[in-house]
Amino acid sequence: MTVSLISLILLCPLAAFAVFGLLGLANRRFPRQDYLSTAAMLIALACSFLLLREVVPEPETHTVNWVSLGSVTFSMGFYLDSVTAIMLIVVTLVSSLVHIFSMGYMHGDPRYPRFFAYLSLFSFSMLFLVVSDNLLGIYIGWELVGLCSYLLIGFWFEKDSAANACKKAFLTTRVGDVGMFIGMMMLFTKFKTLSLYGEGGIFALAASQLTTGDMVWLSIAGVLIFCGAIGKSAQMPLHTWLPDAMEGPTPVSALIHAATMVAAGVYLTARMFPILTETSSLVIAYVGGITALVAATIAIVRFDIKRVLAYSTISQLGYMMLAIGAGSYVAGLFHLTTHAFFKALLFLGSGSVIHAFHAMHAHGHDDEHEHDDSDAHGHEHNEDSDSGHVLGSEIPPDQDMRNMGGLRHKMPITFITMLIATLSISGVPFIFSGFWSKDAILAGVLGRAMEWNSVHHYILFIMALSAAGITAFYMFRLIFMTFFGEPRNQEMHDMAHESPLSMTVPLLILAVLSLPVVNTLWFNAAYVKPPPQPHLHAPAHAYIAPDTKGGTGLAFSLFGVSEAVAAEENAGHDTHGTHADDGHHGHGPAHTIAMVLSICVAGLGIFLSWLFYHRRTLSAESVTTTFRPIYDLFWHKYYFDEFYDGVLVALTVWKARLFAQFDGTVVDGIVNGVGVVTRDILAAFTGAFDNRVVDGIVNRVAQVTWAVGGRIRRIQTGAIQTYLFVVLAGIVLLILIFRAL
Amino acid sequence: MEFTLKTFIFYGFALMTVASALLVVTVRNIVHAAFSLMVTLFGVAGLYVFLQADFLAATQVIVYVGGILVLILFGVMMTSGRLEMRIHIERGQLLLGGAVALALFMLLLTVIANTPAWKNRIDDGTALPPTTEKIGELILNGPFLLPFEVVSVLLLVALIGAALISRKEVRD
Amino acid sequence: MTLQHYLVISAILFTLGIFAVLTRRNAISILMGIELILNSCNLNFAAFSRFVTPPEDISGQIIAIFGIVLAAAEAAVFLAIILAIYREFGSIRPNEVDTLKG
Repeated sequence: MTVSLISLILLCPLAAFAVFGLLGLANRRFPRQDYLSTAAMLIALACSFLLLREVVPEPETHTVNWVSLGSVTFSMGFYLDSVTAIMLIVVTLVSSLVHIFSMGYMHGDPRYPRFFAYLSLFSFSMLFLVVSDNLLGIYIGWELVGLCSYLLIGFWFEKDSAANACKKAFLTTRVGDVGMFIGMMMLFTKFKTLSLYGEGGIFALAASQLTTGDMVWLSIAGVLIFCGAIGKSAQMPLHTWLPDAMEGPTPVSALIHAATMVAAGVYLTARMFPILTETSSLVIAYVGGITALVAATIAIVRFDIKRVLAYSTISQLGYMMLAIGAGSYVAGLFHLTTHAFFKALLFLGSGSVIHAFHAMHAHGHDDEHEHDDSDAHGHEHNEDSDSGHVLGSEIPPDQDMRNMGGLRHKMPITFITMLIATLSISGVPFIFSGFWSKDAILAGVLGRAMEWNSVHHYILFIMALSAAGITAFYMFRLIFMTFFGEPRNQEMHDMAHESPLSMTVPLLILAVLSLPVVNTLWFNAAYVKPPPQPHLHAPAHAYIAPDTKGGTGLAFSLFGVSEAVAAEENAGHDTHGTHADDGHHGHGPAHTIAMVLSICVAGLGIFLSWLFYHRRTLSAESVTTTFRPIYDLFWHKYYFDEFYDGVLVALTVWKARLFAQFDGTVVDGIVNGVGVVTRDILAAFTGAFDNRVVDGIVNRVAQVTWAVGGRIRRIQTGAIQTYLFVVLAGIVLLILIFRAL
Repeated sequence: MEFTLKTFIFYGFALMTVASALLVVTVRNIVHAAFSLMVTLFGVAGLYVFLQADFLAATQVIVYVGGILVLILFGVMMTSGRLEMRIHIERGQLLLGGAVALALFMLLLTVIANTPAWKNRIDDGTALPPTTEKIGELILNGPFLLPFEVVSVLLLVALIGAALISRKEVRD
Repeated sequence: MTLQHYLVISAILFTLGIFAVLTRRNAISILMGIELILNSCNLNFAAFSRFVTPPEDISGQIIAIFGIVLAAAEAAVFLAIILAIYREFGSIRPNEVDTLKG
């Protein structure tokens, strides 16, 4: 049953893509590719829900041998546990809604069918990655996802910026993928298998075979595999591709760069959790923490609505990594789930706003600069043009928040739904899912810090907390600038309109999904189990005391998550035998403290945002002037792109030039030299030899023959009398001679 | 050897043969040469008579004088214009040819003079029976039948071939 | 009259024939020289038949008769060839008919 369901989930989107591809070979098109792809996705969604009911406490694996190379056999198979089931729900649900949304958003695009075909292929790849039970399958899905990302980011490849962005995304993630591949090979070398689960799987072997001496080696392998996640999930320092990837159509941003593909990195890291060592966990935690903070600060100063969301995504992904690195495996996955929904909602909402402005794009273009001059944030904009935006492309007018404002009346549904998502991501307490997942992470990090009582874990907590506050600030900045206040661009404002039903319905559905109560459907203690294998690192897991949940009562999900995390903790402790009295030991305060602090920073961020961008009690300009260097740092995105441009790209170009010069001088020189030697010296020599010696011999022979022939020819007079004379003379002579003898 | 009439006539024939043969090879006019040849052929026929080869002498006269010589004269008439009647002889060729011929002649004389078996073969003057019947017997009913037939066929072939070669090509 | 008389006459005829063949610049003259040579041969056969072999044996004469027949055949073919050459070259001078010249 499960196998057939999983197969159906995989085959539906694949078939939708195959129809497109096969008909494309025949130079034809399925007339309603959008319906086909969407229907396939909906079937997959239904199967995912059915599968959710099928999940039994014990994880299932179904494998078949794929290829045998000598003594090594690679297998392919499904692994089904609660995490898989939840990921399937998330992917199919978001994907379905994005499909529906795209029908409205992409309407009229010249490559409309192709877009849906790509979406189907992407969904298949992601689902394949999710259900694979071995690293090889994951890697295949991983690279397919990368390919689809490339295709979809560059979907409007007529735009140079889109073409560059898709190349950048592909190459940047590839950097991480190389590391991941090396890590996989290290594991393979050690264990002679790429299967993760079961008796002969990596996890079982790692638990049974490895000794303490192997920890360094295993740490390196873990960090290398995490490199793949760094690339795919846009962690520092390979995060630069994600903002640029906003050049793709907005539904793509929602699907790939918010909800699912970037989640693949988190998912992989979570899957590899059983073999993460203390060291590699710390690396992951720090990478995640730094990413969360840095991306959040960059997001503050963005004006492109999609870029704000992009940096927000990076920041939230950093959170998830931080959670996993800190050992809060369940909290990380929980945040992955909730984030997938509200970030998809935010992207689709922004897509709705952009769509509203789409009509403006044509004739709003000419007036752009005038509006900019009279803009309330003209100063910042001038900064923009003055400071020479190195890699960031010009902000399209329909994505520029400085052109928006007061849209809440024009687009009520979009406004309400986006507000819900914003409240959720900002961590507004109790009724929004984001609060619970973020709170779980903060509590986990703090709990670990308290347990280990080491400074660097407190640093992680502080980073996470700051990021939470900043997130609240910039998200409300987005809301205020977009939906509140006076219209800054009256012409564009007049053109704006609420989006069609196909776009608003997914928004509404996602808004509902941003409520925690809904998430309990799939994310609760019955499903989410701690990792199937014991942790290799000393556990200091996130801990949410059961008693703190009682007060809320509103969020059922909290029960589930709390229990799950508690169970996780117990499992970890039991394994290592460090301590396990009741699972509630000593970390009750962690959760309370984390929750209070979280609410405080969120409130502070929202309040400041309100002061700056709604009440305008505080002036953003004056703050900018005051903290000029910091602003510049944020504005230039910590100069990552400049660094890559100035160092890596320049180095590569310089290297290429060097090699070109080497080619041009040395290699060409050798080749040309050989050519010249051959042509001018050897050829001249052989030519002379031919002309003089060979031809001479031939000519001499001919001349001699000719001359001799010319002489002998005269004997042949043709006169028979001469012949007769000679004959007779010969006879006489012969007789005389013989007679004389 | 006494000088008899018979001897006289013999020498006459011999002289006639040799002299006319000399004319054949020396005169410039080809028609004259042809008629000199006729005299030579007659002389040879006479010598055959002295050798008591009567049938051979008759054949010599009939075939050579009546056939071959007429043939030669026809050839002269058909191939030579007035100018061609004169036979050109080059001096150098004459000298070389004469030298070789003379050398050959000397050689022959030496052989004739020095061959022992040929010495002292004197015609004793006894009359032999006519040879015609004998020749007829030998050719048609004797050992020479096959050569005779072969020669007959040869002659036939030669005549047909000559006719084929000499006729004007029929252009069709 | 001895055998050697005849042989000498024959030798003279032969030599003259050779001389004609070597020196005459006319094909028909050459033919005449050949006839002389053939006659000298026949004369030799007849002479040897008379003097060397027994008088009853006249094989030499029969050979001579065959020689005459051959001479007739030769003359016929020779003249036919001369006619053909004359038609082809317009001349019967042997030094002008030198297609075989190298």
